[in-house]
Amino acid sequence: MSVNNRKEPVVFQIGWNACIHCGACVAVCPQEAGFISPFDTIAVQTPCDIACMVCEDICPVTTITHVQLSQLQHAGAVV
Amino acid sequence: MVPVDYDLVVIGCGPAGATTARIAAEQGLRVLLVDKRQELGAPTQCSGALSAHALESLNIAPEAEFLHEAVYGFDVYNETGEHTTLDYRCLKPEKYGTDAGKKPLGYVVDRRRFDRYLVTMAERAGAEVWLKTEGLGYQPLDDGACEVRLRKYNQDVCLRARVLVGADGLQSQVGKWAGLTTHIKMTELASCLQFIVDQVDTNGLLEIVTGHEWAPGGYAWVFPKGHGYAEIGLGVIRTMTGNNAQWHLDHFIRNSFLKDRLQHARILEVQGGGVPLAAPLRTQHAENLILVGDAARHVNPITGGGIHTALVGGLVAGQFLSELIHSDKPANATNLSGYIDHWLAQLGNKMWQLYELKKSIFSIKDIPQRDQTLYNTMADYFSPDSVYKKA
Repeated sequence: MSVNNRKEPVVFQIGWNACIHCGACVAVCPQEAGFISPFDTIAVQTPCDIACMVCEDICPVTTITHVQLSQLQHAGAVV
Repeated sequence: MVPVDYDLVVIGCGPAGATTARIAAEQGLRVLLVDKRQELGAPTQCSGALSAHALESLNIAPEAEFLHEAVYGFDVYNETGEHTTLDYRCLKPEKYGTDAGKKPLGYVVDRRRFDRYLVTMAERAGAEVWLKTEGLGYQPLDDGACEVRLRKYNQDVCLRARVLVGADGLQSQVGKWAGLTTHIKMTELASCLQFIVDQVDTNGLLEIVTGHEWAPGGYAWVFPKGHGYAEIGLGVIRTMTGNNAQWHLDHFIRNSFLKDRLQHARILEVQGGGVPLAAPLRTQHAENLILVGDAARHVNPITGGGIHTALVGGLVAGQFLSELIHSDKPANATNLSGYIDHWLAQLGNKMWQLYELKKSIFSIKDIPQRDQTLYNTMADYFSPDSVYKKA
């Protein structure tokens, strides 16, 4: 199971090679409408401030990972 | 009545949306049916099994166009391979079989072709169909209509409608637009994976394998897929296992009592999805809006089957909305609350009973006892004497 005990905002990343576009990650996501990618996965370029990680856990092929937003900002990435 | 572009805008061209659109169009409503995909039924997220009764109840002929294979019963296994065979060719030979005058118990359908067939039925009934059209939002208006915002081939379109029907599946965004809680708890969403394979023999039965070792929180299956193909899959509840569905399916194929039969399986397709083993939403409507099918969790919580319930949900929704709109009543939340009453009248309280049954099974802490209870329940459910028997 995914661990993010401090619940810091995260940005999700999808390993598209393994993604089977099943939509399970969106089905368990408690975010409001629109937290979705054009490929029917959870959003990948929008920070998630809930950071419950259930999307990572439900994925049948474990192809969702995350980076903490603070790490991306520290690295100078634009999100 | 206030002027609108369409009486109904239906978002989602799956079985629930297409059936809602067909029934409403047959009753004379102006219906727009949209889907953001370019190919209906894809990517496949479903085993495709449904009863013959489901098709009959919706006046859908079992056309070769969408059938993979007819099935005649079930073989329910426990974890070690003991099994209960429920072959209706033997149990009810006067009714089920391949001879003239007899019929299959059910079918495994090609979801791509089945969904397209249902949309064709809606289109021929008078519904307008737009593909590559995504729903962006909706807003109830003061005059009793609602505004629906769509994007079609990158062009934004704004329409007036009386009712927006959210048939946008498990990932429903339409329900969220209205503030409905549509997301599913981790403990109630089975994470599913299946392979379409060659080199695995089947015998016209849906094979269901229970047991925590193979599919914690769910079950595994081997279904005939027509032309000598089969599908092997399973669904797991991720809070009950440290491994994902992919790991469990590999474990099942390599190590289960079926391993000798499955060892030469050649994988031709990989499919997956989330299957809600949850109760239907208590609130399936809002101002100018209803949900139907997976979006409203119209899924059997014991079997995970959703095609039949989607078809029936579409029938109920189409009939209810036709009566409401033809009666000139406004499609406000108060009047749309009758939708759930119609749905309950059609399906009874069965879905909630099945949900309570499923909860009671998976609340058993002792794994062998839980496995035994699930095995017994599945065998009972599919038997001719089941209290949940459809026909």
